[in-house]
Amino acid sequence: MHINDRLFGVVFLLLAVAYGWQAQQFPEPLGGSESIGPSTFPTLLAVVLGLGSLYMMVRPDPDSGWPVGKTLFELINVVAILVVYILLLELVGFIIMTTLAVGELSWRMNAPPLKAFLTGLISAIVAFVLFNYGLELTLPNGLLELG
Amino acid sequence: MDTINYLLQGFEVALTPQNLLLALIGSFLGTLIGALPGLGPANGVAILIPLAFTLGLPPESALIMLTAVYAGAMYGGRISSILLNIPGDEPAMMTCLDGYPMAKQGKAAEALTISAVASFIGSVVATIGLILLAPLLANFALSFGSAEYFALFVLAFATLGGITGKNPIKTLVAAAIGLMMSTIGIDISTGQPRYTFGMLELFEGIDFIIAIVGLFAISELMFFIERDMGDGDSMVKMNKLKINVKELIAVLPTSLRGGVVGFISGVLPGAGASLGSFLSYTVEKRILGRKNDFGNGDPKGVAAPEAGNNGAASGALVPMLTLGIPGSGTTAVLLAMLVSLNITPGPMMFQQHADIVWGVIAALLLGNVLLLLLNIPMVGIFVKLLSVPPKYLMPIVTLVAIVGIYSISHSAFDLYFMVAFGVLGYVFRKIDIPLVPIILGLLLGPEMEKNLRHAMMLSDGDWTVLWSSGLSIGIWAIAIAGLVLPYLLGPLLRRKMHKPS
Repeated sequence: MHINDRLFGVVFLLLAVAYGWQAQQFPEPLGGSESIGPSTFPTLLAVVLGLGSLYMMVRPDPDSGWPVGKTLFELINVVAILVVYILLLELVGFIIMTTLAVGELSWRMNAPPLKAFLTGLISAIVAFVLFNYGLELTLPNGLLELG
Repeated sequence: MDTINYLLQGFEVALTPQNLLLALIGSFLGTLIGALPGLGPANGVAILIPLAFTLGLPPESALIMLTAVYAGAMYGGRISSILLNIPGDEPAMMTCLDGYPMAKQGKAAEALTISAVASFIGSVVATIGLILLAPLLANFALSFGSAEYFALFVLAFATLGGITGKNPIKTLVAAAIGLMMSTIGIDISTGQPRYTFGMLELFEGIDFIIAIVGLFAISELMFFIERDMGDGDSMVKMNKLKINVKELIAVLPTSLRGGVVGFISGVLPGAGASLGSFLSYTVEKRILGRKNDFGNGDPKGVAAPEAGNNGAASGALVPMLTLGIPGSGTTAVLLAMLVSLNITPGPMMFQQHADIVWGVIAALLLGNVLLLLLNIPMVGIFVKLLSVPPKYLMPIVTLVAIVGIYSISHSAFDLYFMVAFGVLGYVFRKIDIPLVPIILGLLLGPEMEKNLRHAMMLSDGDWTVLWSSGLSIGIWAIAIAGLVLPYLLGPLLRRKMHKPS
């Protein structure tokens, strides 16, 4: 199957067209048309990407399979873990969030849960001490705020 | 004579206690990064950049540490090649051929020692080459005008995939995407905001450190999960080392030749460390012929590729330092570091920041001595760490990278952006769009556009100025060859590189 390259060829072509069209909307520089303005370089890039995407459609490489089912779920889960981590980092604090995130990730990679979360806790504490006292960079305490 | 003076000055910079300590830390981390399969040198250096920033290091110290990491990663790659039969990074592929058989014969310690010595010799030979060649090239490059530089940037992209690359057009697509990203933000010469969609966060452009960590580190984590590699692989048992001086002397000529071959392929655009180790191995096989037992655990077959890839690693610093054009993913990341320290790489660096350039070169020599010490008596530590399964290591490494970014920017927007880059990196790797040209595009874009504008301004908008001098025509010719040759030679070379393994 050669769907991937064809599909992404179309995506890249659309990107090239949109990007190139946008470049034409930039106002001309004051010096007039003989000096090159903010739109010249982007236009050049749009042409290169456009040609490249056409090539991908005409001469596509064989596909590598996309993850389905459980694997896809695991991947979405990884991204979700990272997003939640960022979302709650300042509110809940570094140590708790890092323990949970590292633990959850290790666990999803087939580590036994207890060992996974213990690894998370230890690495969180070590990193916290290193960053806060070694490098004097404050990481958020969050719920563990003392005093 | 000047060179020696500069080098001595460089040693003065590198030998301060702080920098020495940083070089040691860098060497250690680098070896570890190189040894872990999946965590390549470009990745490793990228993850450590935020660390260098958070430490608040001065430019020369930061660069010394990362150069040591870079050199260390080249040493580390061999450990997993020999013990696991899995290259820790791509250039270490050829080391599997004789390293793993040697380990299976119960000579793992010998294989590790020989390869460490070969790495050291290869690296030192190439660093001497770097010391001799770099100032000459920098001087020559001073005569380059904007048109030549523009052509040189094109050459860098055209040859980045390497002669062995699968699909040069995809390298070009990736480069275009990276360059497009670099145009996001306020245009420096006119003040015109471009592609910002009115978002304030985008006015200063995309920070390439965020892009690097996202594209490399996070996509790597996703790949590990997808391939279910969390458990790691079984390792060959280590044996007690009996140093055989005769055996070490026997591999000396091989290591020296490997260093030279590696250096040349490191300097040349489009070759890189993988080709360096391949060529070195092939040359040795040719020269030594049937007298030796290549492929079945011959010590010379371990020495050759290791000397080759370490030589190439030092060689690759030549175009990076003198022209500001990186030849590999890792040198691109090192370049990113320089740019973010407000140092413009290129020939002027040898004049304006001589202390930094020579400090780094001295650190490279020093780092190799440290690495030799780390890698022979203390190789056991790395072997122990290598047996920590990735399922524990990868999550920690990723989270440390995220926190590193957080501690520089304290901006949630940047972190979300980084995760988005991670997903993008995963998708691109799935469709074989290489990631290094994207980084390089993001990095070199502003300079490339500046040179184009400058050249066009001087010529009053006449495009032919870009190929009007003999020098620029030469550069264009190499660039075109870099795109065409992979189609002619690529399949042949690739087959040869994969047949033995």
